[in-house]
Amino acid sequence: MRFVRPTYALTGVTVAAALVLGACGSSDGGSADTGSGAPSAGGSVTYAVDTEPVCYNVHVSQQDITAEIQRSVVDSLVFLDADQKLHPWLASSWETSSDFKTFTFKLRKDVTFTDGTPFDANAVKANFDHIADPKTKSQYASTLIKTYTGTEVVDQYTAKIGFSAPSAPFLQAASTPYLGFYSPKTLQANADKLCSESPAQVGTGPFTVADYTKGQSIKFVKNPHYNWAPEGSAHTGPAYLDTLTIRVLSEDSTRVGVLSSGQVDGARAIPPANVSAVEANKALNVVRLQAAGGTYQIYLNVTRTPLTDQRVRTAIQRGIDLGKDVQAVYFGQYQRAWSPLAPRTPSYDKSLENSWPYDPALAGRLLDEAGWSGRDAEGYRTKDGKRLSLVWPLMPAEYVKDQRQVLGQAVQADLKKIGVEIQRPTFDIGTFITKGYGGEFDVLDSSWARPEPDILRVFFNSASSAATGGQNASFISDPQLDQWTNEGAATLDTKIRDDVYGKTQKRVIDLAASVPVYVPTTVIGISKQVHGLTFDASSWPVFYSTWTDKK
Amino acid sequence: MTGAGLVRGTLVRGTAVRLAAAVAVMLGAATLAFAALQLVPGDPVAVLLGPATTASPEVRAQIRDDFGFDRPVVVQYASYLGHLVRGDLGESYQLQRPVAELIDSQLWPTVQLASAAVVLAVAIAVISAVTTAGRPLPRMLASAWELVAVSTPSYWLGIVLLTFFSFRLTIFPVAGAQSFSALVLPAVTLALPVAGVLAQVLREGLETALAQPFVVTARARGLTRMAVRFRHALRHAAVSLVTLTGWLTGTLLGGAVLVEVVFARPGIGTLTLQAVANKDMPVVIGVVMISAFVFVLISTVVDLAYLAIDPRLRKG
Repeated sequence: MRFVRPTYALTGVTVAAALVLGACGSSDGGSADTGSGAPSAGGSVTYAVDTEPVCYNVHVSQQDITAEIQRSVVDSLVFLDADQKLHPWLASSWETSSDFKTFTFKLRKDVTFTDGTPFDANAVKANFDHIADPKTKSQYASTLIKTYTGTEVVDQYTAKIGFSAPSAPFLQAASTPYLGFYSPKTLQANADKLCSESPAQVGTGPFTVADYTKGQSIKFVKNPHYNWAPEGSAHTGPAYLDTLTIRVLSEDSTRVGVLSSGQVDGARAIPPANVSAVEANKALNVVRLQAAGGTYQIYLNVTRTPLTDQRVRTAIQRGIDLGKDVQAVYFGQYQRAWSPLAPRTPSYDKSLENSWPYDPALAGRLLDEAGWSGRDAEGYRTKDGKRLSLVWPLMPAEYVKDQRQVLGQAVQADLKKIGVEIQRPTFDIGTFITKGYGGEFDVLDSSWARPEPDILRVFFNSASSAATGGQNASFISDPQLDQWTNEGAATLDTKIRDDVYGKTQKRVIDLAASVPVYVPTTVIGISKQVHGLTFDASSWPVFYSTWTDKK
Repeated sequence: MTGAGLVRGTLVRGTAVRLAAAVAVMLGAATLAFAALQLVPGDPVAVLLGPATTASPEVRAQIRDDFGFDRPVVVQYASYLGHLVRGDLGESYQLQRPVAELIDSQLWPTVQLASAAVVLAVAIAVISAVTTAGRPLPRMLASAWELVAVSTPSYWLGIVLLTFFSFRLTIFPVAGAQSFSALVLPAVTLALPVAGVLAQVLREGLETALAQPFVVTARARGLTRMAVRFRHALRHAAVSLVTLTGWLTGTLLGGAVLVEVVFARPGIGTLTLQAVANKDMPVVIGVVMISAFVFVLISTVVDLAYLAIDPRLRKG
């Protein structure tokens, strides 16, 4: 019998190839910037993305790319602009109860889904009920409304949404595509097809889905009846573009190549190594967007010796030359982080910047004080004959992004200089999750984009353990962090929020529960013939007011 | 029993044996695929959701219940085989679509790519081998390019071809599978290494054939050198070419993964890549089954091709 070769054995090679061969030249596109004259309707734009959504249903998917792409199809109750300001959208006004458990939305009366169904309070109820229904298997949207108790249809255009716990961050969540609206008709008839079938995607958005070709492209056409853009948009009425095509080009060098040769009008996720080449191309503009939310952090598990000792944690925090490492690995395109929050997140504490610089001498002193004063043959510190060694597992290659494994090597080298050994074993994803969630590793790393400081609660509140769907990777249980993050979730008063979230950020750094590393940044390359591309609070592109000179 | 009856009997028995072997291969592949699914360590729900998730315990319970992860392994295996026998490959965990439908929609681009590559590879190999066999200088040059082609990784070759013919000269677009012009570069990328192997083997066979007395006889009958090569020697050398082509066609499914990613083509490769990355086991298993089926099909075709090429094999 012949041996059947499993076709998936080659996955790792592909990923490695993408990294090695990331560099690629750019050609001259020829045309210069034509200036941004008056917007004009018509034409089409093709935009290349690096990943394809696994599931297109915004209520189910946990991927950023799903929200980014489906923003063209589903609208939300409110709009959060790039400056983190809320604007009316499908809701013309709203009221919140003083305990932040009830939110009453007055809805616009002129909105219809693209299948002709009017958008009203019943549609709001149908959507939220659908998200909360366990049968939907919502991986993310349901966690944004974790304590949802139900929607009351007060009248046709008034919906009252209730929660069992204070939920001030709900307004931010309501602005995201994850809590966007599908036609109740499609929810009823096509609930199981929303993940993958284009005709099922019926929203109120400025575009409708014309076609998905799995593994290749998604084509949108203009919704000619659209007349309910969010307040503050550059124009009203239907979108300018006749068609918008999203091309899936996962291979970095291919994506950069088609952009440079003018085969697409724009592309996201330009690798840092290629940014200067794209910038040098006269036909292209480069847009850099820092994601709001959690920075990329290295979490130190405070329940495991020797990390139970705060001095050891601080030594690690101060013993990594982050500024230099981030600069070198990302060609100066990404900014080094100083806080668990990214600078664009509301309540970001700017005073933390430069407050804990690289200080290997201090790190050494702290380790000496903690009793790790011996040295072994390889130069690592010891205490009672035991080496100061920490386990920081590498995730399987398909989960590693931004060349974080390379950055990890720089961190490893820095810590070796102060006598700390970092071991980076690789596990399959099943073992990784079991052990990681079980708190069996010393160090873990991740980033999390969401323009809402409430993510600090997801990371550092003791009630947010992995077992209950949280991401507390430091396994920290600190009464003050719990109190402040709970307070922040129960108010929208910016003064109180700035205060409690500021204190939270400081305390996380003081306790050295995490080492913030860099601010995740999306670099977009876009043709100079394309104008009016805007971005929302999550740094996702909004194609509604985009127009093109190329007709 | 008459002579015709004997032939029919042999034929029936031969077909039955072949069918039984095919079923055995498919069953083996199905069992291995199922075992692989069971051997993935950790909680299958956690594996499915991946590391960056905030899914609540209720959602996890629902997923566990829906996919039957809490049933005993034997029950899961029996029900899995039961579904397979009825031609039901199950439903993708992540894409929430029947696996058969997914494969159906993604198979055609891969078949297009693989067939184009095989035809191209065989054509290049035949030309390269027939024109150079037994001639020292051309032989050396041809062997050199074949060696380079065989040892070039296909993803690298793909990127080089893209850079020149698509990004710089913009002759062939990266347009996915919509047009013929978009098929050219991926097919060439996939074909060249295969052509290199085939040409080397074919030349070897040709040179052996050319050394035999029937060549002199044919030349004596007044046939030209080329006619002898194509009409007589090639036929002799073709058996090993067909065997190898059959085997390589099967492995092209694997090679297609890389080429499809580089050229951003839809296809089984891309589907598999996504399914593996997301631990979407029903899809992975579906692809394994299809691969097993393709191998069985190809080896049957190859065996039949032997009969067409070599009349000596047709007797009993």
